[in-house]
Amino acid sequence: MAPPEVNHLFHHPIADHSFSADRQTLAVARENNVDLFERSGSKFQLKDELTGHDKTVTGVDIAPISGKIVTCSQDRNAYVWEPSPEGWKPTLVLLRINRAATCVRWAPSETKFAVGSGARLVPVCYFEEEDNWWVSKHIKKPIRSTITSVAWHPNSVLMAAGSTDGHARVLSAFVKGVDARPEPSAWGERLPFNTVCGEFLNNTAGWIHSVAFSPSGNALAFAAHDSTLTVVYPSAPEQPPKAVVSVSTQVLPFMSLLWSSESEIIAAGYNCEAYRLQGSEQGWQLAGSLESKGRPGVQDQREESALNMFRQMDLKGKVTDDTKLKTVHQNTINTIRVYEESGGNVTKVSSTGVDGRVAIWAL
Amino acid sequence: MATVNWRTINIDALDPDSPANFDLSSLSPAVQPVSAADVQSLAGQIRQLLRGGDSEGALQGALENPPYGGDEKAKEVHLATVIEILQSIRQADMSPILSRIYSAPGGSEALDVLMKYIYKGMAQSNTSAASTSRNLTPQATGFSQIHSRGGGEGGGQAMSVLLSWHEKLVEIAGPGSIVRVMADRRTV
Repeated sequence: MAPPEVNHLFHHPIADHSFSADRQTLAVARENNVDLFERSGSKFQLKDELTGHDKTVTGVDIAPISGKIVTCSQDRNAYVWEPSPEGWKPTLVLLRINRAATCVRWAPSETKFAVGSGARLVPVCYFEEEDNWWVSKHIKKPIRSTITSVAWHPNSVLMAAGSTDGHARVLSAFVKGVDARPEPSAWGERLPFNTVCGEFLNNTAGWIHSVAFSPSGNALAFAAHDSTLTVVYPSAPEQPPKAVVSVSTQVLPFMSLLWSSESEIIAAGYNCEAYRLQGSEQGWQLAGSLESKGRPGVQDQREESALNMFRQMDLKGKVTDDTKLKTVHQNTINTIRVYEESGGNVTKVSSTGVDGRVAIWAL
Repeated sequence: MATVNWRTINIDALDPDSPANFDLSSLSPAVQPVSAADVQSLAGQIRQLLRGGDSEGALQGALENPPYGGDEKAKEVHLATVIEILQSIRQADMSPILSRIYSAPGGSEALDVLMKYIYKGMAQSNTSAASTSRNLTPQATGFSQIHSRGGGEGGGQAMSVLLSWHEKLVEIAGPGSIVRVMADRRTV
């Protein structure tokens, strides 16, 4: 396995990141701004800064086809940034929420996006041609606490939301005039806005950090703060799911997860490394870490000159520097995203975390 | 001018949609109600096993039936049972017993329950040690073992047993089980 490509961007936590479809532009949320990096060789060069939010930016997402960037922040606003000859042009989206926005994701159709918030609702925003204005519609009903993550079904109508009330929910975000009527699926047949297609709770009701639909959309995975990962396979509309598989891991909780194929999930979080989980309806298990232990780079760093060794002993009273983690990331991984796909399978993923590093992993 | 400091007004209480105004029971997983008498009789059966020398079976039995749905009294009784079992097992036997329980079906769940009892036991032996040193009259709780030794020393001894269990348990079940104790809404 090739070693990951690691870039240390800055000494600030990265709340969220997103690559453009051509993988040349990287947007990262850094404090109140979004930094746009341009790839030059193996490095990333700071190209542009999207300033406008006046509190910490919590989510950023680049639409793969249109290239529009959506950002959301603790200042309760979202902006849609469009490229123009004079640079990036922001459009304010009124979310009408009274608490911070926590996360944002474009629907695969790119005609709307969903924002998670601390106001116990999910604004689903779409562009109203007539008024030349982004409008938000609230999904409210069963949500009892902060939404920590949102994820879209491939049909752009269904949406999953993970909440600190311990529930992962599958909801309909059907907007008349924007979406075509969706094909009936195992999640539901008729799907008017705010239909609750499923509410799932794991054994311990730990709060949810991340949710994701499988590539086909026929399974939902969520990671909770009790170090578990739960996969739900729905059977038919209004019926209990045909399988709910929960894996209690020995490691610290996962903050982010993605499906690399129908039978594999990559998850990463407080353990500072990414893990591979494999399974099916019959069961899931932790299949190992993406880090190759004892990478050559680690040994190289350890090999030091005699002078350096004695200096270390004199200064710190020890030979080896044990303040460094053996993992690539030196702190919690906040987000992992698909970087490259081929033939329906994910071949590369990118991760960012509290340590300000971005790493690209070959699977 | 009103003298009310508006910054201290609890605005959530005035909002009909606020979390302060809805039933929180829907947020926690459903638990079976257990009566104190059932817990008592289970404790009797487990003690029987313990007296027969089958401490592993006793531990397994105790961990498979945590009284999540019981009241404070029931939980207290079960805690005392678990602590008693833990204290009866020798240090050398801890790791083998734990790995056998872990490899059994539902083992990871059982070890999570054990972790909850270790933390609860630590909290308990602290307060009981403090309360006995403050007012010297021994108080009747479900805690025969700790109190019979009396005072802070007994608490310390119980703590050292719990600490060595904790160490062995983390070796097998990992830090994930500690996180589950904190995240789990089903308390023991």
